[in-house]
Amino acid sequence: MSGRDTFLPKFAALALIGAGLVFWARSVLDPYALSIVMFVGINIILAVSLNISNGFTGLFSLGHPAFMTIGGYMTAILVMPAARKGLMLPDLPAFLAMQEWSFLPALVAGGLLSALVAVIVGFPVLRLRGHYLAVATLGLIFIVQSLAVNLDGVTRGALGLSGLPSLTTTWWVYGFVLLTLFVCWRLKHSSLGRTMLAIRENELAAACLGVKVARTRVFAFALGAFFAGIAGGLWVHVVTLISPDSFSFGLAFQLVVMVVVGGTGSITGASLVAAVLTLATEFLKPVEESLNLYGASQIAIAVGVILILIYRPAGLFGTAEPQPLNLIKRLGSRHTSPANSPE
Amino acid sequence: MTFPYLLDQLVNGLILGSMYALVAIGFSMIYGIVRLINFAHGDILTIGAFAGLAAFASADLPFPVVILIVLVAGAVVGMVIERTTFRPMRGSPQVTGFIASLAVSIILENLAIMILSAQPRTFHIPAYLNTLVHLGSVSVRVIDLTIVVLAIVLMIALVTFVRFTRIGIAMRATAENYDVARLMGININRMIMLAFAIGSALAATAGLMWGAKYGQISPLMGALPGLKAFVAAVIGGVGSISGAVLGGYILGLAEVLFVGLLPPALSGYRNAFVFGALIIVLLVLPNGLLGRNQETRA
Amino acid sequence: MLEIEDIHVNRGGTHAVRGLSLTVGRGEIVSLIGANGAGKTTTLSAVSGLLRPRKGRILYRPDETAGAIDLTAMKAEQIVAAGISHCPEARQIFGNLTVTENLRIGAYLRRDAEGVAKDLADIHRRFPILEERGSVPGDKLSGGEQMMLAIGRALMSRPKLILFDEPSLGLAPILVEQIFDILEAVRADGVTVLLVEQNAAMALDISDRAYVIEAGEITLSGTGRELATNADVQRAYLGAA
Repeated sequence: MSGRDTFLPKFAALALIGAGLVFWARSVLDPYALSIVMFVGINIILAVSLNISNGFTGLFSLGHPAFMTIGGYMTAILVMPAARKGLMLPDLPAFLAMQEWSFLPALVAGGLLSALVAVIVGFPVLRLRGHYLAVATLGLIFIVQSLAVNLDGVTRGALGLSGLPSLTTTWWVYGFVLLTLFVCWRLKHSSLGRTMLAIRENELAAACLGVKVARTRVFAFALGAFFAGIAGGLWVHVVTLISPDSFSFGLAFQLVVMVVVGGTGSITGASLVAAVLTLATEFLKPVEESLNLYGASQIAIAVGVILILIYRPAGLFGTAEPQPLNLIKRLGSRHTSPANSPE
Repeated sequence: MTFPYLLDQLVNGLILGSMYALVAIGFSMIYGIVRLINFAHGDILTIGAFAGLAAFASADLPFPVVILIVLVAGAVVGMVIERTTFRPMRGSPQVTGFIASLAVSIILENLAIMILSAQPRTFHIPAYLNTLVHLGSVSVRVIDLTIVVLAIVLMIALVTFVRFTRIGIAMRATAENYDVARLMGININRMIMLAFAIGSALAATAGLMWGAKYGQISPLMGALPGLKAFVAAVIGGVGSISGAVLGGYILGLAEVLFVGLLPPALSGYRNAFVFGALIIVLLVLPNGLLGRNQETRA
Repeated sequence: MLEIEDIHVNRGGTHAVRGLSLTVGRGEIVSLIGANGAGKTTTLSAVSGLLRPRKGRILYRPDETAGAIDLTAMKAEQIVAAGISHCPEARQIFGNLTVTENLRIGAYLRRDAEGVAKDLADIHRRFPILEERGSVPGDKLSGGEQMMLAIGRALMSRPKLILFDEPSLGLAPILVEQIFDILEAVRADGVTVLLVEQNAAMALDISDRAYVIEAGEITLSGTGRELATNADVQRAYLGAA
């Protein structure tokens, strides 16, 4: 595989450049702008990890918000001082109530819990295909929300948990962005990644070639859920609160937009669109306010999505990873990628 | 647990079921003819409710006229959605169409919030619809009776239309095989538009009923009922009108009884229950109760 | 009655038909024979409007006296209205509709209720099994019954020209005989027939004229008898040594 041998040095170089940018941003930008940067990073983590299930493997999952909720709550609960837990969450099992973890292990725990749920739920649910799978994963969002609201002894119900420490810094986000990109890149260019693509293109053929289809799909689903859980933990400690409806249907749509518009299977595409979308929404906010047209940016994005689906159904990049030099050329030409949107 | 209480719950279940059935029929008709889940269907319910409110508020219109206005409003919106979003998607993969209909739903919901503000409004209905009627040990409002009767009338009309009229048969033919339907001389674009119009008209009527029943409407009111009606359609068998009716009533009754009969601590789980049921039905009975395997299309 | 002039048709991204021309005279049975994938179905679909030729023309004269209608860019629904009926490959009857509904939908464009009732009765007479199983859903019929239903459905629009796509495919030999008898009866009723077939022997037997199509082009043409006795045709399609 071309590029694999040069991958590590290339990645390290890009990582260093990125680190430089983060350092510069932290010294130059005010806290609000920095939080935007953090959201861009978190959305990149979300979009790229959703690409593993939706893009590479062709599972249409709308479930990321559910896993963010799970990860977010888990992280928040683990990080929270024991005294506070005792007060706010009376029904929490004793062993949990006593824990006070630092940020990194709490994040990982949140990710692992999400992945575990994904595995348990995934084996039955991933037998569905296409839009039925989409609706089932949407149902997951509602089920998780319902649990979060009703198990109020453990989650504080509809009130949610507020006053959380703002532990997330740009470095944490950057670190996990690097991790996500690294994992996804290696995955895509590995035999497992090729297996996933094979499943997306033609499941029956893949099965005939000996691919363990169900297992691979669940793995893709769970891996995406892992990162979603971490993203949830990171998010929650930027906004310092979490409630059952923190991560809901609207977010699911936005994430799907990032994957679909960026190109189902393109890591660069998903990241780019994630960044652009986050920044665009942010810049459009004051415009909305001044014109008193709340929601106009959502409408614009939705219309944009429809247009792209009609005219460029494989997304802007398809499955390709454009090299910077080809980028401009590709965007301009009528480039049709060999891969289609997932069935 | 007293008998009158149970009866009360059954009546409520019937009313909720009637509304779910009407929306589910629309889902099934649209799915049957274009093989796509119309995510914006629930938002048409919202539009129907607001159209009804406007109709009631503007002039002293008799109820049948209000119903007519709502039917027309729903049909128009449905046809616009078909023409602008679904027709260009024809032939695309399932998932593309689904995302497009998600996008339409977002557009409609945000437009509604922009134009109508997110605040819920009271849905005023004329006094005579609010009067109580006593049937044995149960008292219901006239509007409640009207909802069930209207739903049944509409369903019978629809089934008659689809089973026995020339155009109804043409619609069923189109739903099965576009190319061969064209070889019969059928204009499939018109048939598809008709399916959208009818399905949306019914969903809008359900919105009118919802507003009348619960007395309050808001721009996002239709999203969740729309999803639940989809669950009902799946239970009955997507693509089957009688399945949608069956599924609608089963879900309506089940949801009401779930809340009414189980301890109050569990009633907050009603949505989880509905979606859990969806996942189970999709896994165990993929074609629902009455559906046929509709996945192939020539 | 039908003139196909040098059409090129794409199907699913391939250039399936390349510069094909053929004519069908009024009252004739004309066959188009060839192997799988030669472009036979594509040709019929171009005539009935399901596919549009990239180049070339298709002209149709419904009556002796009427002018020619250019079918090339017309929509399928309009072509049916002009009097051309297409009985598609693999029968493709509507499984969700009953037998009688299938027949009635064949008459979708007709406004003369009495004429439709008469034609329905005629078809019932010709295929009594269709009357017997009138309210059975289409997908419960056997292969042979479905073929009769497909033919009946095509006849219900009272067409002037019928296109038949491989009517014998997948049927037992005794049914195949029946089907070809029916095709001759159809012609006897005054309907012109353009028949596409892999079963060359039977097709040539009933045809007035025929064409051989290979890789999207016509390679031979002549009367039915001429082609049946042609050595190349015999070797390629009729199983002669």
